[in-house]
Amino acid sequence: MTPPNTSFSKPVLAALVVLLMVPSAWSSVVRRGLGPEPDSLNIHQAQGLAAVNLLRDLREGLVTFDSNGEPAPGQAVSWQVLDGGKRYRFTLRPDARWSNGDPVTAADFVRGWHHAFSPENPAVTAGLLQSILNADEIIAGTMDVSMLGIKAIEPGILEVLLKEPAPWILEILAHPVSYPLHQATLADLRQAPVNGAYTLDEWIPRASIRLQRNPEYYASDTVAMDTVEYFPIEEPTAELSRYRAGELDITETIPAGRFKWLQENLAPDLHVHPYLGSFWLGLNLRHPALGLSADLRRALALAIDRETLVRVVLGAGEMPAWSVVPPGISSYEPAKMTESGWTQEQREAEAVRLFSKSGLGKRQPLMLQLRYNTSGVHRRVAVTVSAMWKQVLGVLTELINEEWKVFVNNRKMGVVTEVFRGGWIADYADSSSFLDLFISGNALNTTFYANPAFDQLMDSAQLTGGAERKHLLRDAEALLMQDMPVIPLYYYVSRHLVNPRMTGFADNVRDIHLSRYLGLETESP
Amino acid sequence: MNQEGILRHSATRLLGLIPTLLVLITIAFFLIRMAPGGPFDSEKVLPPEIRANLDAKYHLDEPLMQQYFRYLGQIITLDFGPSFQYKDWTVNELIARGFPVSLTVGGLAMLLAFLVGTSIGITAALRQNTAMDYSIMGVAMLGISIPNFVVAPLLILVLAVYQGWLPAGGWDWSIQRMILPVVTLALPVIAYIARLTRGSMIEVLHSNYIRTARAKGLPGHLVIRRHALKPALLPVISFMGPATAGLITGSVVIERIYSIPGLGSYFVQGALNRDYTLVMGVVIFYGVIIILLNFIVDLLYAWMNPKIRYDEVQ
Repeated sequence: MTPPNTSFSKPVLAALVVLLMVPSAWSSVVRRGLGPEPDSLNIHQAQGLAAVNLLRDLREGLVTFDSNGEPAPGQAVSWQVLDGGKRYRFTLRPDARWSNGDPVTAADFVRGWHHAFSPENPAVTAGLLQSILNADEIIAGTMDVSMLGIKAIEPGILEVLLKEPAPWILEILAHPVSYPLHQATLADLRQAPVNGAYTLDEWIPRASIRLQRNPEYYASDTVAMDTVEYFPIEEPTAELSRYRAGELDITETIPAGRFKWLQENLAPDLHVHPYLGSFWLGLNLRHPALGLSADLRRALALAIDRETLVRVVLGAGEMPAWSVVPPGISSYEPAKMTESGWTQEQREAEAVRLFSKSGLGKRQPLMLQLRYNTSGVHRRVAVTVSAMWKQVLGVLTELINEEWKVFVNNRKMGVVTEVFRGGWIADYADSSSFLDLFISGNALNTTFYANPAFDQLMDSAQLTGGAERKHLLRDAEALLMQDMPVIPLYYYVSRHLVNPRMTGFADNVRDIHLSRYLGLETESP
Repeated sequence: MNQEGILRHSATRLLGLIPTLLVLITIAFFLIRMAPGGPFDSEKVLPPEIRANLDAKYHLDEPLMQQYFRYLGQIITLDFGPSFQYKDWTVNELIARGFPVSLTVGGLAMLLAFLVGTSIGITAALRQNTAMDYSIMGVAMLGISIPNFVVAPLLILVLAVYQGWLPAGGWDWSIQRMILPVVTLALPVIAYIARLTRGSMIEVLHSNYIRTARAKGLPGHLVIRRHALKPALLPVISFMGPATAGLITGSVVIERIYSIPGLGSYFVQGALNRDYTLVMGVVIFYGVIIILLNFIVDLLYAWMNPKIRYDEVQ
């Protein structure tokens, strides 16, 4: 018998393996998936979630978010609400400093805001500040930027003036568009001093972005992780592989279709949580059949078996939606469709009744086009919905897949659209972020819904506050769910894989997880 | 070889580059602008005044012809302008950072493919119609027909996730992060080169001058090395020109699966996002690379093939 010829190869192989081993993470580094490459780290050009999330680690506004994703004092230590909610007086932290040691002053905020409204370099997100006094006039160019409703009273005192009370404004003040700018910044935003928990150490486009703890940050001694490494990984399956290979501590998402496998194999790492977003099908009310009858729209809505859709087709923890506003907004109960409590058989019977009432039936089949932008999930949803419509109502659906830019343009113009993929993710945790979309004349109102009663309710809500406001908004949503310009299908969820040793990662409806709260427990032997 | 002939030929070829590029630029410029939507169209709607200011800043409010000539004037100075999508970078910066990565991965893959492909191709040719030949060519056939996006996840699963020997993706210029993408990229090229080499080697081995060399008693390995190798590699060389251009400008599939910051994704991302400047930048860059590589292949050809002479065409 010949001895196996492995005496050589084994040590060689072992040496190779050691050489090729991935350098294991050291404990004070957290490695996070970022999704796509951030579009910009300029606070006025950043639009995508990736960029905004990064900026939240690098910079801070008057308000920031706590570890549960709720607004909390940031560069301002406290504030008073004056003039019935139209004037906010902020006291800055005495220890708020830029990364070069300079104090953060009220003038830095004024500079930042004025820059956001400058005609030469307009901030793409300036629209978020439209509730600030004179913002509209300045954008339109009829008023000078110095008239903007922000005033430095003293170096440490800042006042913000609003057109109308806007209870959600604190959350806008935590958005990058309202961050301060250091006076040396305007020349080169990449080199500029920052005022957040981390500073930018290295940025290799589409490979990695490394942040280091900012020792000048006022809460720097509470920041556990010295280094944060963000990896832009566009492909969720690639992100999952890297997570499984131990190269990531937090992923941005999970691949579609892997939810079940992850539940079975990586249950302790899997975080699925309601998210402030809704997916719906928009109905173009300019279309003759769709615009004519609310009964028809309701029939289409009831014929869709949402439970089957979320369980079988989506299957990643999404919840069936019966309203435009998702649950999770504090002290607001979404106005769900009355049929949400029925069984699917009852709903389908009602759908058939309403459908024939509107003069249609299986004999005169309705032809509809369903448009969606390229995405595996959207395609599966569209196929399922068209099958359910055909089965219950005999509606024939033509599926039209469009590239993103073509799709958003068609949807905006509203000439060729009939039924189309729609949805919204809240800019701020308030039901008006969703309901505003349906005010007549809103540029984002792609269904062309126009109901004076709805507009009236939204107007009155803007002038009031507290419980009365919530009441009016809920009435508006109830009206919307009667008129049905959209068919809500499901509420979004946030999905992450998180290293079980990670501390300070709290699931929340805004899906905001600042790195300053994160920590990594040392591995138990 | 006639030095002057080569020089004259090179000068003509390089001059010919200019009209080719001009046509390329013109077609690409108008095609991408014909696509519906623009760089600032998104789900959210910008206030019209802000939109107007942005359009003015990037000269998108000008008539198309004026934009075209402005662009031509700009690229003469080799300035591709700012990217619309990656707003903090210029297109020049993005290419300058992306190309070395693609060049490294693609260049190494081509080198690997050439060395392995020709070796197994020659081996198969010398043992024509034996079990060895059939098994090599069978594997090569598999290599050509299995696509990258099947091989790559399998390699990641086995070598990175299960065994932990190699990283699952990412880029930091370390060798271990290069291995998987280079191998994945090289596999189909190895197979293709092996088949090409085998075919042409068999043909050359049957030619009269090889028979003569054998007849005068030259040892087998010398016949191969001195007489058969060069002509047998000619088809491989002409294949390698465009293939190298394809490899070193980046592969979208490989870049997505391994999260590599190369040039390839900029084509797709740039086109989908209507990032006019980025698309134009990579198209022009790619055009120049292809033309240059074809030119190099021509020169190599002349050097290797005694039948080709550039000074004869007068």
